Amino acid sequence: MATLISSNRSRGIKNSLAKWLITLGGISVLFTLVLIFMYLLYVVKPIFESAKIEQTVNISIDSTSNGEVLGSGIDELKELAYQITAAGNIDFYHLKASDPKAENQFSVGDNSLSTSLFVSDDFNQEQVVKVVNSFSENKLLHTAKGKTLLIQPSFYATYANDTREIIPQVNYPLGQESLIIDEQQIPLSQLAFAMDDERIVFVGFTKDKRLIKTSFIAEDDFSSSSDGDDVEYETIFQKVELFDGLSEGVIDEIKVTPDLSLAFIRSASIVYVYSLNDDEDVSLKATIRPTLDNDNTYLTSMGLLSGSSSVLLGDSSGRVSQWFEVATDEGRQFKQIRSFKSDDDQNSSNNNSQTSNAITAIYTEQYRKSFYTMTQSGMVNAFYTTSAAHLWQGQLTSTQPETFTIAPRANGLIVIVNDALDTTKKSLQAFSVHNEHPEVTWQALWQEVWYEGYPEPDYVWQSTSGSDDFEGKFSLVPISFGTIKAALYAMLFAVPIALTAAIYTAYFMTPGMRKKVKPTIEMMEALPTVILGFLAGLWLAPLMEEYLPAIFLLFIFLPLATLITAFSWHKLPNQLKDKLPETLAPILLIPVIILATYAAFSLSPLLEDSLFNGDMRQFLTNDLGINFDQRNALVVGIAMGFAVIPTIFSMAEDAIFSVPGHLTSGSLALGATQWQTLIGVVLLTASPGIFSAVMMGLGRAVGETMIVLMATGNTPILDWSIFQGMRTLAANIAVEMPESEVGSSHYRILFLAAFVLFIFTFIFNTVAEFVRQRLREKYSSM
Amino acid sequence: MISISPKALAPGSDTSFEKKLDLTNLTPEQVALDINQLNLFYGKKQALNNITMSIPKGQVTAFIGPSGCGKSTLLRSINRMNDLVDNCHITGEINLHGNNIYDKHVDVAELRRKVGMVFQRPNPFPKTIYENVVYGLRIMGENNRRKLDEAAEQSLRSAALWNEVKDRLHESALGLSGGQQQRLVIARAIAIQPEVLLLDEPTSALDPISTLTIEELINDLKKQFTVVIVTHNMQQAARVSDQTAFMYMGDLIEYSDTNTLFTTPLKKKTEDYITGRYG
Repeated sequence: MATLISSNRSRGIKNSLAKWLITLGGISVLFTLVLIFMYLLYVVKPIFESAKIEQTVNISIDSTSNGEVLGSGIDELKELAYQITAAGNIDFYHLKASDPKAENQFSVGDNSLSTSLFVSDDFNQEQVVKVVNSFSENKLLHTAKGKTLLIQPSFYATYANDTREIIPQVNYPLGQESLIIDEQQIPLSQLAFAMDDERIVFVGFTKDKRLIKTSFIAEDDFSSSSDGDDVEYETIFQKVELFDGLSEGVIDEIKVTPDLSLAFIRSASIVYVYSLNDDEDVSLKATIRPTLDNDNTYLTSMGLLSGSSSVLLGDSSGRVSQWFEVATDEGRQFKQIRSFKSDDDQNSSNNNSQTSNAITAIYTEQYRKSFYTMTQSGMVNAFYTTSAAHLWQGQLTSTQPETFTIAPRANGLIVIVNDALDTTKKSLQAFSVHNEHPEVTWQALWQEVWYEGYPEPDYVWQSTSGSDDFEGKFSLVPISFGTIKAALYAMLFAVPIALTAAIYTAYFMTPGMRKKVKPTIEMMEALPTVILGFLAGLWLAPLMEEYLPAIFLLFIFLPLATLITAFSWHKLPNQLKDKLPETLAPILLIPVIILATYAAFSLSPLLEDSLFNGDMRQFLTNDLGINFDQRNALVVGIAMGFAVIPTIFSMAEDAIFSVPGHLTSGSLALGATQWQTLIGVVLLTASPGIFSAVMMGLGRAVGETMIVLMATGNTPILDWSIFQGMRTLAANIAVEMPESEVGSSHYRILFLAAFVLFIFTFIFNTVAEFVRQRLREKYSSM
Repeated sequence: MISISPKALAPGSDTSFEKKLDLTNLTPEQVALDINQLNLFYGKKQALNNITMSIPKGQVTAFIGPSGCGKSTLLRSINRMNDLVDNCHITGEINLHGNNIYDKHVDVAELRRKVGMVFQRPNPFPKTIYENVVYGLRIMGENNRRKLDEAAEQSLRSAALWNEVKDRLHESALGLSGGQQQRLVIARAIAIQPEVLLLDEPTSALDPISTLTIEELINDLKKQFTVVIVTHNMQQAARVSDQTAFMYMGDLIEYSDTNTLFTTPLKKKTEDYITGRYG
């Protein structure tokens, strides 16, 4: 008996090889999909991570000789930190060194340097009482005797011995002599300043209770300042009229915006806003009177947010409120936009912890809309204003530190704190801050956000602008909306055409015709969408703008003309019809369609003249108040509709054509007409396939990029109007990805947009498949 | 239980005893269909050659013959299902109530309502059992729930399916077995009360037990309807029919009452076929 072992070895090998190859192929497809999914999530993940602050360096400082620490700072690379002491010394510390210790000599390779800032004899034996910070590195030192010095600690890198070395230096932008800020040279109790290339503005409150403004204005003397270093300044002293009731009052805090336009002056719980724009006259612009929780609550601190449009007010209950100017009916007014409070504070605010919760200082970041608050107990809270995110909360030091500085890149903190046990000792502590994307929260992405300068909360996508003060506005709502709007208008155009075409081709057309027509329409799918896109954007959009009434006429004319032709064909005597080839009927339609189109376009100017005062576009905008974009949803609907039609047509046609003939005959044999059979049996049986076809079309429309990129105008607005453009997720990614900085919030949000798009198509396809399965269970025949 | 409709008491039906009809000389009341010199061409090819025969009312007439002999084509031309075939061309006439169904004024849908048809393969629509049965009534515009319910029950009873499906009328018809589906299709066809019921090899896709059920059903149906059945199975023709027509190569070779045809065929070809020499 012959064995059952295969006699043909190569057949067995081929069989198992094929099996392995197919398995491998299938698994790699799944693996690739999962990989894409994982990579998207991997890039997106950091934007949802909460902020982390951890200590990196703790340097102990012997402070007996120098006294109180009034200011501190750090270089951009977080390698050197410095402190400014009451004795007028600046001490630099290496943060990267293995054994950082304070020494008096500082040269390359040493760990710290201490030097006196007082070069001029003006400052003999002076005690610094105040260090005033600005948004730049410039700091203003004010002494007990009323002398003022502007210093600029700066850092430069050398590459001696092929290693990078950061060298600190102190510049004196206005010279080493004392600046005269008050004409009467009376010490100031409060002082604020801001400077740009041409002006320096000081606003101060003297010990004898005068509010003064002093401006240094650079003189344009081209002949004398040829070397450019020494700029001559003209000094203008101004006394500012005190507001009502302040004569016996005290000014607690002064802030000047970096653009030198406003001064915020806080006196107890009221903030007075002065306009500094006019060099001659300082006028009161507004008063901010925050509503406080109860009578015992009062304002304790004030801060200016980066960009200087917003002012932050901290109160004794631990609440911080953000205010900025909003256009109202009565002009621009300061309004409270939102307030921030750490969660723990709310629990304990009822008992006597009122004072310990009080916000003693508000520190704002230089470039972002984040800020830190400090309480008396040394509790630090970090917030981001626009996203209203509470980023971090914790105790960096056991007591309230003497100084608190945010690193220029907001990736670190420098804190100088008194030792709790030994009062002669202080410590300089550096913290690294991991908080790259504070502006992104789920709420900011999907809910209305009140951005600075906007009259109300809104959904805004605006990722870049020309200004450095610009804050990215990343609402995914307008672009997700745009995606859906574009897809829906495309479907509105494509579904009726594609489905009726599919029904006609599959059910009524002669087999010979069908063999030619179906591949022709399917060929349309191979048309690159970029061609459709530029045709739509550069040819169709201007054409539509010019002949707008014609487009609407076409929507009436074309179906009407087709129906009239079909009816006339039907009424044609049979003898004549038998003689004509049966393919003639569809061909007959071609001149009819051309004629109808021609008629519509020639009627268009007439219609415009008679109904729309000569220009429909103008009529829409002026008389009906409808905004008209040249690249609008109508253009996209038609162009993307064209791209989607072959997809829907092909699948729906297959579904209808594959309805078994015995079902059709069954229905016809029961006396049903063709039409009844079509509706009652054919479409019903083909419904799963038709549904998939439509959903595939929708999926394609959602993911389509080139057409929407070129024909929508890419305006991220929330408007269903057919005459308005939109920006879709896909087009948005294509437009903005090349210009986004790798690793930035913008970059990661674009990946998130890609992920959202992925989810969109995933949901559409899953729903489609689910419904299709259900339909198939119900309706598919044997 | 078969409910007796008034039609069952019509004059034609009480002739169903063993009384032989003179098929060549029927009275107009006895005739359901009168086929007169029917020629059918598929393109150039002639599929039916000059068929002339009368199908009596209230009886079961079977068409037998080898594959491709034209028996199904003849059956389909009775309700003009051949219209759907491209290049099909017909001369001659088929008269129903003395009216030629190929007359150009004839509404084909109306004709098919009077001449129902059941196909070889069960073809229930992908709808519920109930909706299948009332489909014909619905397309006629009948939407009265009570009438539809009545018609559905009556047709399902007539098709001997009521007891099996009465509890799941609103479930999909596709869940039924093949035999049940075929009876459902018969119920659907008789729900619109046709005069003639054409059965195109109704049992060829079924198992023997279902076949038996259908055959019993056909026997009952002739009390109400004129039944014309095409079958491959000579035993079936012998069992269920009153008249049998033997066709060969598009010709009607012999047409007589079933007993005569199977026992004493007049033509050599008929004898050869029924004795199994070809087929």
